[in-house]
Amino acid sequence: MLSRVADALYWMGRYLERSENITRLLLVTEDLSSETQGLAEPIAQSAWKDLLAILPTAQVGPPASAFAPMSQAYLQSFFLDPTNQYSVHYSLRRARDNARSVREALTVEVFLALNETFRALETHARRGVADPPSLRDALGTTHKGLFTIAGAIEHTFARDLGWLFLKLGESLERIYRAALVLRAKLPGLVTAEPRADVALYYTQWRTLLRALGSLENYRRSYGARLEPELVVPFLLFDRHSPRSLRYGTEAVKGYLERIAGGGESMPAGRLIGRLHADLLYQDDRLSASGADAVFLDRVVDTVAQAHDAITAQYFVA
Amino acid sequence: MVFCGAVKWVPETTAYDEAFDRTTAPRQHYRALVSTLESFTLTEIDRRERLQKISLVDQGITFTVYGEKDGIERIFPFDFVPRIIPAREWERIEAGLIQRVTALNLFIADVYQDQKCLKDKIIPPELVLSRKEYKRELLRLTPPRQIYTHVVGTDIIRNDKGEYLILEDNCRTPSGVSYVMENRNLLHRVFPEFFTRYPVRPIRDYPRQLLDTLLWAAPRASESPVAVVLTPGIHNSAYFEHSFLAREMGVFLVEGRDLIVEDSYVYMRTTSGRQRVDVIYRRVDEDFLDPLTFRRDSLLGVPGLVNVYRQGNVAIANAPGSGVADDKAVYAYMPALIKYYLDQDPLLGQVSTYVGLRKDDFAYMRDNLARLVVKTTGDSGGYNMLMGPFASREEIEAYGAQMREAPGNYIAQPLIELSSHPTWVDGKFEPRRIDLRPFILYGETIRVLPGGLTRVALRPGSYVVNSSQGGGSKDTWVLAARA
Repeated sequence: MLSRVADALYWMGRYLERSENITRLLLVTEDLSSETQGLAEPIAQSAWKDLLAILPTAQVGPPASAFAPMSQAYLQSFFLDPTNQYSVHYSLRRARDNARSVREALTVEVFLALNETFRALETHARRGVADPPSLRDALGTTHKGLFTIAGAIEHTFARDLGWLFLKLGESLERIYRAALVLRAKLPGLVTAEPRADVALYYTQWRTLLRALGSLENYRRSYGARLEPELVVPFLLFDRHSPRSLRYGTEAVKGYLERIAGGGESMPAGRLIGRLHADLLYQDDRLSASGADAVFLDRVVDTVAQAHDAITAQYFVA
Repeated sequence: MVFCGAVKWVPETTAYDEAFDRTTAPRQHYRALVSTLESFTLTEIDRRERLQKISLVDQGITFTVYGEKDGIERIFPFDFVPRIIPAREWERIEAGLIQRVTALNLFIADVYQDQKCLKDKIIPPELVLSRKEYKRELLRLTPPRQIYTHVVGTDIIRNDKGEYLILEDNCRTPSGVSYVMENRNLLHRVFPEFFTRYPVRPIRDYPRQLLDTLLWAAPRASESPVAVVLTPGIHNSAYFEHSFLAREMGVFLVEGRDLIVEDSYVYMRTTSGRQRVDVIYRRVDEDFLDPLTFRRDSLLGVPGLVNVYRQGNVAIANAPGSGVADDKAVYAYMPALIKYYLDQDPLLGQVSTYVGLRKDDFAYMRDNLARLVVKTTGDSGGYNMLMGPFASREEIEAYGAQMREAPGNYIAQPLIELSSHPTWVDGKFEPRRIDLRPFILYGETIRVLPGGLTRVALRPGSYVVNSSQGGGSKDTWVLAARA
């Protein structure tokens, strides 16, 4: 397979995953924000600040009016602003640019789904959708569009080398984003005490699970009890939840092995292999205090190094 | 009072209005909401309302209306003007509900144990013992931790003076809490602006609290007990709520056929074999719970379940037999029962009630039907009641004849002017009558969800708020006390 094509598919995977991640983060943060803004404004504020830490970006504009909820400016910037490198608009455009450059390597269904989702989003941006309910509505539609793309990939793509690169990009991006979310949110959460306001305390843990697309799966495993000792290990080590760090790392490891075709282990494979082993065997040591920032930093670093190694080995001639 | 530049506000003359005082000025806790509403144009409000309707249909938030062909699925109409309850008022409601649920439990326990209240003539024995809700089979049977009513939904109204009055206790399978949560979600989505200036207490924690409550009742509390939600199935009017709660609690939603009784335990059939069940949150009427004990023709129940319950190997929430306490005639005796069990005066008032069983009361009822609201003691959901002041002469005569056949099955109350609340109807804000159903959980402690279901009678002048009778609902805000 051409390095150029592999590169484009890899990035298409990364940008699609990033679009979905940002969309979900915005929806979830908006929920928390409108739930807490009148009651405990600092919680709403810090949720948006966390977002800025996860998606390091330029300035977010001032609120549109005295009645406008806090979320409005953030939604505008991270959803529709084409110049914000961490907006859904930007990420989805990059995914589409990559897709267009290798259209022959995609199925028609995948390209159409991607194109339609982007076009719909562009229309929103052009119309200048401004009020929160419409923004939310449009975000919801985009989220559905992203799932349609994922479904088209699942159902129509041949499981060949191209598919492996696309999935590699997707999984790598997923662990990367998850680690960043955990790093931004866990330190504050694990030190918080439930005594002050129990309902608010659990609202924040629920929001963390939702931010990582894991609330429903968590409930299936542990029910409605949101104990930090259960939530943190679940997000890090669960075997079945497609968004746990362990699951994601396992997926990356698998794709890398299949791309290497059973040949000798490559630098990226070795990096991810070590991380995977840690995630397999460290759950006792980490569990409740899994908030361990050092460990999460290592995840972020490893993914960045793996990305460099993949680029060096496969994409740069 | 002018709303949105275009719509005149017409205050009710007789009822207590929640949002406006007699001079038609907004009450203090409604001022911020009114000014936020005034910042919208009518077109904008209209657009938001359409958004909200689409959202309800898309999410499948529906209920089934009985008595219509094929049990039609309808959306539960949602009105976006929230009902606001200040912290101080809520404190009183909360304390009153905790007191009432404590007394209700003591009463049920007494009825199934020593029947002291009957011996002491606090309440006429025939009134309790002749009810079909009284289950002789359960006499002397103590549920785990002596809790009978794990979940209670109590209906509260406000009279023309603005006093909160208890209208009805629902001790069996009170429904509506899923709408409480969905209404909040919906309002967040459609009018997030409303929330920016109010400290609205969160309610999303309810499923977690409900699960805590259920597991507290588990017979083997030390291990990891298993709770399930038992539903009659998809045809039940509250099926949406059953699946909602099961999903939110992360427990199995089961039907009777999924459960079996063997060797004095209840199990559910799973792909990996039988799994023991410790707590059943049953949303099945108790008459259908166990064909071996109650109705033989029940296909919804689990044969042998009551036997397991009797041996203390499963908890059932709410406990079978609890219905004896939410009887409309027992209601008349609640103030006396609170005094009797707790030696306290009721913190919340209730509506004066004529009990058909009492000769004098019945004579009064018979002669004053046109002025009274008459209800049968067995039915709920607004079925089979007479609204005297609004009924035709023929209707009253027919109902009177029906009453004479079994006077003990009827109670009557004066018509209470339910409080009214601004409601968006056909492009205008109009006053509509409302009530309130808070939800109370009885686990390790008694907790009241800070919120509840505010039902609204959407027809002009109507007093009937039931969803099956053309009612809708509102988001209900309980405000936090400002520190």
